Amino acid sequence: MEQEALRGLKADWAADRRTFPMSWGKAMMWLFILGDAFVFGTFLISYLAARAAATLPWPDTGKVFALHVGGAEVPLLFVFLMTLILMSSGGTMALGVAYGFRGDRKRAALFVGLTALLGAIFVGMQAVEWTNLLREGVRPWANPWGAPQFGASFFMLTGFHGLHVSIGVLYLAIVAVRIARGVYERRGDYGPVEIAGLYWGFVDIVWIFLFTLLYLW
Amino acid sequence: MQGPALAIVIVLLVAAAVGVTVLGIWWLPPLASNWGAIDMMLVITLVITGIAFVAVHAVIAYFVVRYRRARAKRAEFIPDNPKLEKLLIGVTALGIVILLAPGLFVYSRFIQPPPDPLVVEVLGQQWAWGYRLPGADGELGRADPELFAQNPFGVDTSDPKAGDDVLVFPGSPLHLPVGRPVLFKIRAKDVLHSVYVREFRVKMDAVPGLLTQVWFVPEKTGTFELLCAELCGIGHFNMKSSIVVESEAEFQDWLRRQTTVSQAFVPAQD
Amino acid sequence: MGGTSAKHAESGLHHAHEPTSFWTKYVFSQDHKVIAIQYTVTALLVGAVGLVFSWLIRLQLGFPGSVSIVQPDSYLQFMTQHGMIMVIYLLTALLLGGFGNYLIPLMIGTRDMAFPFLNMLSYWTYFVSVILLFAAFFVAGGASGAGWTLYPPQSVLEGASPGAGWGVRLLLLSIAVFVASGTMGSLNYITTVLQLRTQGMTLMRLPLSVWGIFVGAVLALLAFPALFVGGVMLLLDSLFGTSFFIPIVNVFGQQLGREGGNPLLFQHLFWYFGHPEVYIVILPAMGLVSDILANHARKPIFGYRAMVWALLAIGGISFVVWAHHMFVSGMNPYFGFWFAAATVVIAIPSAVKTYNWLLTLWRGNLRFPTPMLFAIGFVSTFVAGGLTGLFLGNVIADVPLHDTYFVVGHFHLVMGVSAIFAILAGIYHWFPKAVGRMYNETLGKVHFWVTFVGAYLIFFPMYWMGFMGLPRRYFSFAAVETLPPSVQGLNVLMTVAALAVGAAQLLFVFNMIWSALRGKRAEGNPWGATTLEWQTPTTPPPHGNWGPELPVVHRWAYDYSLPGAPRDFVPQTEPEPQPAAAAKAAKAAKSEPQPEEGSGA
Repeated sequence: MEQEALRGLKADWAADRRTFPMSWGKAMMWLFILGDAFVFGTFLISYLAARAAATLPWPDTGKVFALHVGGAEVPLLFVFLMTLILMSSGGTMALGVAYGFRGDRKRAALFVGLTALLGAIFVGMQAVEWTNLLREGVRPWANPWGAPQFGASFFMLTGFHGLHVSIGVLYLAIVAVRIARGVYERRGDYGPVEIAGLYWGFVDIVWIFLFTLLYLW
Repeated sequence: MQGPALAIVIVLLVAAAVGVTVLGIWWLPPLASNWGAIDMMLVITLVITGIAFVAVHAVIAYFVVRYRRARAKRAEFIPDNPKLEKLLIGVTALGIVILLAPGLFVYSRFIQPPPDPLVVEVLGQQWAWGYRLPGADGELGRADPELFAQNPFGVDTSDPKAGDDVLVFPGSPLHLPVGRPVLFKIRAKDVLHSVYVREFRVKMDAVPGLLTQVWFVPEKTGTFELLCAELCGIGHFNMKSSIVVESEAEFQDWLRRQTTVSQAFVPAQD
Repeated sequence: MGGTSAKHAESGLHHAHEPTSFWTKYVFSQDHKVIAIQYTVTALLVGAVGLVFSWLIRLQLGFPGSVSIVQPDSYLQFMTQHGMIMVIYLLTALLLGGFGNYLIPLMIGTRDMAFPFLNMLSYWTYFVSVILLFAAFFVAGGASGAGWTLYPPQSVLEGASPGAGWGVRLLLLSIAVFVASGTMGSLNYITTVLQLRTQGMTLMRLPLSVWGIFVGAVLALLAFPALFVGGVMLLLDSLFGTSFFIPIVNVFGQQLGREGGNPLLFQHLFWYFGHPEVYIVILPAMGLVSDILANHARKPIFGYRAMVWALLAIGGISFVVWAHHMFVSGMNPYFGFWFAAATVVIAIPSAVKTYNWLLTLWRGNLRFPTPMLFAIGFVSTFVAGGLTGLFLGNVIADVPLHDTYFVVGHFHLVMGVSAIFAILAGIYHWFPKAVGRMYNETLGKVHFWVTFVGAYLIFFPMYWMGFMGLPRRYFSFAAVETLPPSVQGLNVLMTVAALAVGAAQLLFVFNMIWSALRGKRAEGNPWGATTLEWQTPTTPPPHGNWGPELPVVHRWAYDYSLPGAPRDFVPQTEPEPQPAAAAKAAKAAKSEPQPEEGSGA
């Protein structure tokens, strides 16, 4: 029984025309995400290896990323807000995609546009964070608290992720404009919105790993 | 004509390769350490791969003659033959096990130095080798790359164990006693280098920031060349040093005549 | 969303009309065939530079001091750039970008790649990376001379190696751009193979060329990230003074302000890419050779399924063997056990492929045009180079041979010469299809004989040099006192052979150019081949490849000398005669465009 099912699965996969029941664009986005996941994975493993090899003590991230609220030092508050914004943008994107499939052009455009806006805010906050750290003396080659690999890894990883978010903001803005102009409606296919959603979801998920490994640990 | 020509060229090629190898015209330099097992592994591998090499080329040579185009004939439709394929996979797997098992066994000895060896620190730098041997106390003093700023060996001169360490400055040969296990502790000052003594069959990279090691027993007296086997810049091809293997007595005599750390460097002022 | 409706929409996107202006037709073309030729020509031109560098290297080794521009520093620069050019900018680009682009859509029966614009972008990105590569020659300090492996610290510490300033930075930028290009290409090739196959073209009916390129593209997608990450980190180390790979070092008495980096991390990243890279090059080559051997032996490829599984197995295992390049690097020595065992296991699928090539020739009806000769040459050099991998993979045997000429001989034969042989075989084989004219057979044969014999004369002696313990990347062996004097004789022989082989490539270039302009007109299917690309309505294939109707596939790609068939090959488009469903099949066959007659000459 099971063997038969397995054989059936194999036959489906190996059958002619298309291996995955989805559009070319969507298939390619999944493949891109797979490749990009290898890039981020390699970055993160390299960061962990560099951190393990560092000879000087690693700075206390709780203190480095603390925010002063009315004289009190709240660790990680700022980055927590950033994370919240990026995660909510994942929600608005999902809504945008859902409205797209329902053919609700206005709402789809609105939510995708909102997602782009939230992404832009995230990048803006990242710029603020970078400025603060630079002001405190963190450089890629040195910092006041310990291992120089801290600054190097931080700027490299958040920079590379920030680049992804920035590209995503541009990408989503274009998609939002195209939705609003009715490009997908005329074509009767909101697939490209979903594909953009895949990319955005990936960028969101990567951030969770970055947040955990860079800030929390 | 192409078929027979190809066969002739291949036969000549294989014959030449086998001839040169069997006659031993160019072969490993004579062994001067305990690593005869490595030579044996090379020979086993050479025999097995040699058989495969000859067999494959014999088959090619035969086929290109035997099955060259004939007008009236058609090729035989033979899409596969699972039995034959399984047999070939089995034979290959067997050959591989024969190579791998003894190889890993020898390797496990290679990475476990014997107890109580003569420890010699080898320091690679562009483009020369320096050495440090333990003095009367039988132990090497502490060294740290940060201390390269103070002395060329990066030795902690304030370490009480360091004072009697014997230094062999770049350019001078290293002497070793015959028949005693030697453990090279390898450091690098600037970039990657690699310790390579052809007659000893040993090789290990020198990595800045890392301590690597390799061991052997010199079993023949004589002078051997230590070459650099990892690209290290313009002078890579000139980065060599001599190793003189001699009797224990001669070695001790040589050791006494070398400069020690306390003679060479003024101890750090506290 | 419905799969079928999207499919129709996408098919409609494919080149509604042919571009007419010169720029869109030949320069910024989105036609996979034009892009393939752009890739091929660019890669061959870059490769020609790499070939000249190899001459300079060989001249210095054979006749030391004979060429004044080869000095200890420029020797390393020529050597480094030769390696980089050949592995990445020639072999990878040509096999994936050239053959991948040309063959995938034609062999699977589609009109173009899934994303023609991305395809064009991929080529031009590659072009930019080539510009950056060559730009590095003209900056202060020149191109990098740190070896193609670019091991830190020396590759990025100024003064430690030639070209450690902007030379290596531009090279790293070029590599990053190349990775972007390669990724765009790979995404396209993978998507196209998975999603765009024509009716009847199941995965198990794909020609092995497509399988080889497909697995190679998957490896590229998953291996290039490590090169990219390693390259970015190395660039930061060079540009911003970070210490990812650089510990405390003292260069010529100068204590540098670096701290706590790990040089081995880069080696791991590099070889995590570098080992699959070998297979990114050799798997497509294996695919091409399989098809060419089967065609000219007039016999089905032996053990097609085993060939496919061997490709997949080699591709899979190639990701867990990388540290066999690092047995004496100072990494944890216990890693050696795993990496040695995993490495020699690769020998099994590789051997399966070799056996099956031989068994394809067995009881065949072999003809020997130039592509067949090169394909057999591939099998020969692949074996001659691959077997010595059993020395280098078996950790303890690697110790005395590591970083000697043994390694140089090994990788040149197994992935340099054999990949080039596969490429040359492929170019000769598909030349009549791509150009519509035949190449000159006599020139082709001369080219083969000089190249084949010459390649062995250049690289086979390296094995004995390796046994003697000659370290690689040496500008001169004058300082090594204990070498037999006959080594110099070997070096002279190898240099003379290298010059001859290089000169023979001029014959090839002349043959290609002359034949493209003046060659005999080729028929649509001059080799009597079964695969789809030979069944196109016109030759060279028109824009969109197939005319109004896409081909329909009824059988696997290897029905050569099928008993009972009228000719000694049955094209994939020919329906299977099924007595039970004969009426049905006959009906289908009538609506089918008849395949062109192949002479089988």
